[in-house]
Amino acid sequence: MTRQVKTCTLIAIAALVLEAWALYTLDLSPATWRPAMIVKNEARARGLYDSMNNAMRAAKSLSYTAVSRGPDGRATTYKIYLKKPHAIRVEVTNHLTKRTTMLVRDSDHLWVYWSGNRQVWQIDTVDSYEETQSDTFIKKAASATDGSITNEIAYLGMAWFNLIWDPGLFHGHADPYAPFIDGVRSKGTDTVRGHLCDVIEISFMKAQRTRYIWLSQQNHLPRKIKEIDRLADNHVTVVLWSNVSLNHDIAPEMLTWSPPETSMPWHLAPPEASLLESGQAAPDFTLDSIDKEPLSLSDFRGKVIWLYLWQVGSPSCRADMPLLQSFYESCQDKGLVILGLNHTDDRRIARSFLQAGQITFPNILDSSRAALEVTFEAYGYRKTNAPLSYVINREGKIVDAWYGFEKQHHRALAALKTAGIPVEKRVP
Amino acid sequence: MRAYELIKETFRRRTYIWVVHLVWLALYVFYWWFFLSDAAADIGGFVFVLGGILFALALSAGIFGDDIDSGRIGVLVTKPFWSGKLYIYRMIGLSLQGAVHFLLCACLLIMLQLLTRKTSMDGLALAWWLLASWLLFNTVAALSTSLSVVVGRMFNSLLLLIVAIAVFIFIVVLKSKTQGQTEPSTFEKLIRYACPPFDLLRKFAGGEHGQFSLTFGRFSISKNVACVVHSLMLAVAYSAVGIVLLCKRQFSRVRD
Repeated sequence: MTRQVKTCTLIAIAALVLEAWALYTLDLSPATWRPAMIVKNEARARGLYDSMNNAMRAAKSLSYTAVSRGPDGRATTYKIYLKKPHAIRVEVTNHLTKRTTMLVRDSDHLWVYWSGNRQVWQIDTVDSYEETQSDTFIKKAASATDGSITNEIAYLGMAWFNLIWDPGLFHGHADPYAPFIDGVRSKGTDTVRGHLCDVIEISFMKAQRTRYIWLSQQNHLPRKIKEIDRLADNHVTVVLWSNVSLNHDIAPEMLTWSPPETSMPWHLAPPEASLLESGQAAPDFTLDSIDKEPLSLSDFRGKVIWLYLWQVGSPSCRADMPLLQSFYESCQDKGLVILGLNHTDDRRIARSFLQAGQITFPNILDSSRAALEVTFEAYGYRKTNAPLSYVINREGKIVDAWYGFEKQHHRALAALKTAGIPVEKRVP
Repeated sequence: MRAYELIKETFRRRTYIWVVHLVWLALYVFYWWFFLSDAAADIGGFVFVLGGILFALALSAGIFGDDIDSGRIGVLVTKPFWSGKLYIYRMIGLSLQGAVHFLLCACLLIMLQLLTRKTSMDGLALAWWLLASWLLFNTVAALSTSLSVVVGRMFNSLLLLIVAIAVFIFIVVLKSKTQGQTEPSTFEKLIRYACPPFDLLRKFAGGEHGQFSLTFGRFSISKNVACVVHSLMLAVAYSAVGIVLLCKRQFSRVRD
């Protein structure tokens, strides 16, 4: 080999190594969770966080424009008007389609209105969409909303990225993530569009989720929020706040709405509509357990199975898991198996959560395409942040299915009783 | 000496090259005067698209195709001369032209800023946009130059422009179909990493690599360096293809 060829080969190898490093660095997907990301409390930073909450609590009205973006450049613009005690108006524009939809909550009702064609909703059928796609609105009693409007904003079907900060918090709705704050620390100061801001870092749920908030030194309100959701794939959302206006008059007509004569009401089917019905056979599956061993539903044939779809980042799931463990311990010998199924989370985070909670019932942790097909197609999972329960009898038939967490577990007790597991009352 | 002559030749190849430079600089002034909003990113983005893509296409139009069709290439490529060198020096010449153009652009914008005080321009932000424009210019110019080896006359740039528009429309349609999914598809990843790095460099110049990093990340130094490395590697890869194609062709000194 001549010297020239050797040099060329070395340069080519170096170039390939460099390019491989560049591609690896540019790709966002590798999970990077490590214990050092769990934030410890700093008094000054905690004070800044509290001053933001106090500013919200003291304000009578607030309006701002929030542009929510993810790393692929897609963006959603929200124009938000909030007035105490309960009025909300949210106009949402999708940057790509340029369509605008809106949500208004007055004293009595919550309205969601699409001026043109609405987007196809997950539980739409072809017929139902054709009938209700254009000039429709949803009307709900204001009391039917639990204070948070994140779910209602999702009805608009326009949002690629969420708001991070739920506007419902302005009206005193309790932040469901507040009990899971690990700590708040300062990240110094920074400027956002000419506003000098204090930056704080908050980690939740042992750094499963981290938020950075740029708080204006002028009025302690956010100018920018960044959230990193550490799932099987990391999700990063950045929300920029602009036109922030505190305690100014919002025209009353902005905060009320009545349907135009030409429009018609649309009664959104509940998410349960997509779930398997009682008496149907539970589809079998084989997925990876938390220990990366294959685990099948049919492995538990002959037992009553409580299939529980959960996520580390869901406050409801976190509250439910210890109760499920109690159920499992007390009813294991009666032939009950609780089978957890997690299709979203990072393995290290999920494993440490289960270990910390001393959860011993079998768990599947698999975010492969096959797992998504099982959860979304075979089992009809539609919500994104709620537990889903299926009780399956000894013959492998569905007894009952429902979303959410119920502290007294009335529905679960009834379903287990029907399946032949008599549990008189909730295990404390 | 031959290297210097070949690099210089890319500047003097056609008289319209100087006109292209002047027209493009005039377009920056026009945009500044009539359409500029209040952000440095605005003019930066304009220079990025106009200078990084269209200017590269204009300068590299027929860079080999013209010479091959006219038979002039036979005069340039003589026996003791490796034809790959012709490609390399022309590419270096184009890259230098790009660098000179963006430096002139920077001077022009600074002058306009001082004269008009139209916007509170962040000089550092503008520098990032100009660097990104030059990197994009290199990749587009390399791709176009390689295409010029196999496509006759000035059709290399035209073909590339049509393909770029088609891919852009396809991506917009694809994004509208896959809205709600945050993970890019394999096709999107292929476009992101194998085609000229428009999106990566746009994010590099706009500071978005830091913004969407997995930490606080005001700046993401590693990602920005990776972006520069990837852009330069792409330019080298596109050029390598062109060099191989050029070396495989046989050129006669005598025209039919």
